[in-house]
Amino acid sequence: MTRASVVGVGMTEFGVHEKRLAELFADAAFPAFDDAGITGDDVDAFYFGNAMSGLSENDTHLAPKIATHIGIPGVPCQRYEDACATSSNAFKNAVEAVEAGVHDVVLVGGVERCTPETGLDTPEMTRVFASASHREYEQPTGLTFPGVFALLTKRHMHEHGTTEEQLAEVAVKNHYHGSLNPRAHFGKETTVEEVLDGPVVADPFRLMDCCPFSDGASAAIVVSDDLADSYSDPVDVTGVGHGTDCVPISDKEQLSATQAARDAADEAYSQAGVSADEVDFVEVHDCFTGAEVLATEALGLFEDGEGGEAAAEGRTRVDGEVPVNPSGGLKAKGHPIGATGTAQITELVEQIRGEAGERQLDDAEVGLAHNLGGDSATTIVSVMEARA
Amino acid sequence: MTAEEYVVGDRLTYDDWQEALLDGLLLGQECQDCGYTTGAPKAACPRCGSRGIDAVELPLEGEVHSETTIQVPPSGFERGYQVVVVDVGDARVTGRVDDPGVEIGDDVELSEGRETESGVAAVFERV
Repeated sequence: MTRASVVGVGMTEFGVHEKRLAELFADAAFPAFDDAGITGDDVDAFYFGNAMSGLSENDTHLAPKIATHIGIPGVPCQRYEDACATSSNAFKNAVEAVEAGVHDVVLVGGVERCTPETGLDTPEMTRVFASASHREYEQPTGLTFPGVFALLTKRHMHEHGTTEEQLAEVAVKNHYHGSLNPRAHFGKETTVEEVLDGPVVADPFRLMDCCPFSDGASAAIVVSDDLADSYSDPVDVTGVGHGTDCVPISDKEQLSATQAARDAADEAYSQAGVSADEVDFVEVHDCFTGAEVLATEALGLFEDGEGGEAAAEGRTRVDGEVPVNPSGGLKAKGHPIGATGTAQITELVEQIRGEAGERQLDDAEVGLAHNLGGDSATTIVSVMEARA
Repeated sequence: MTAEEYVVGDRLTYDDWQEALLDGLLLGQECQDCGYTTGAPKAACPRCGSRGIDAVELPLEGEVHSETTIQVPPSGFERGYQVVVVDVGDARVTGRVDDPGVEIGDDVELSEGRETESGVAAVFERV
């Protein structure tokens, strides 16, 4: 069932940006306005995502600051923070708001800067990211986010025999997809050998298993089902599931399961009335190659333990049976934390409309976005479909 | 001191847990209702929500459940340490190993609680 529709999307290139947060967000919001054929006057509310800028740029209370900068002062503004799932949570709440009739037209989106443009070097930004791990229990151990996903992935390798070569295949595939995406942070292809030759960040992950620090912004215009037909090219939101697991990692029931994703997927599939095998393509949260393997299994695209092999066999390439991350994913497209969720929504909309250029999929009627936050304790899964 | 003797207030706090760890004890909490044992202090059971959770002393030896060696650390840490998740008795705990090389399934034991700039960490070593 249609819960809401997205009638406009916009995003910046992901990469290194000198522009400040509000300026960067304008470069996503205005294209989204133009795509929807609206002006700022038409926007009833702003649902905004930013995860870390309080720590990384000493910049908080950003939603009204940015609303003022882009010419929509006075609309109700709210800011979401759920680590890397930040703007998906803003999206979820925007969908609920228009579905409930609270607002008609909502601007939703996110922005983040994570590169040295913030003035922070890699150890400093690594510490900012690690703020999402358990403060008293995990941070004193020196756990990093590559480390978090390494702990989950190592367990998966132990239980299922997933190999470093299979993980490298995920990076190779996503770099190939990124080479087809003009907005990707990394536009260059790579090879399994190159990935396996890279320096170790947190074993089993080498440099090329990890997404980059990126700057960027993304935005979408969400309207109610009733209003959608008055816009030129709506794409329907038919399910949004939201799952939450325990933090710290040691309290999760099964490290390799990413239970929040399973719960979120069940809810989203149920709302949409679709099953995993009816999904044509997915954007998943591949902050690390292992995270993509865990995600494809949690979403039910492959049996548990078969995600690595499926990637190595090419089943998740743009020309495979279920394309995973046609945008290049976080790995190649980039990962400006608070902008990632609505960038996934942007990719779903462009693919379903048939506007994805070189990376356009042949069959893109039903798309799914999987966006996780922190140690996978927050996951939001959204299903979008071509409007009937 | 017993586990309960470290509990200053109504229930085990992180300060209590850190003090015990610095004394070489690993404290957790066991739920009176569902039996779940957590290694990180809580106000209620993360499985069933019960507020009836008793501070308990966890075994100091256990088996590595997962591990990784951090080569790109946050500021304030020197590269090349291992972070481990360890099954100790009925609980699962997180800590670090200074000299990397332990693997899943290896037996480790608590060697100390260590003050870092972020708090107190449980440090394990191979048995």
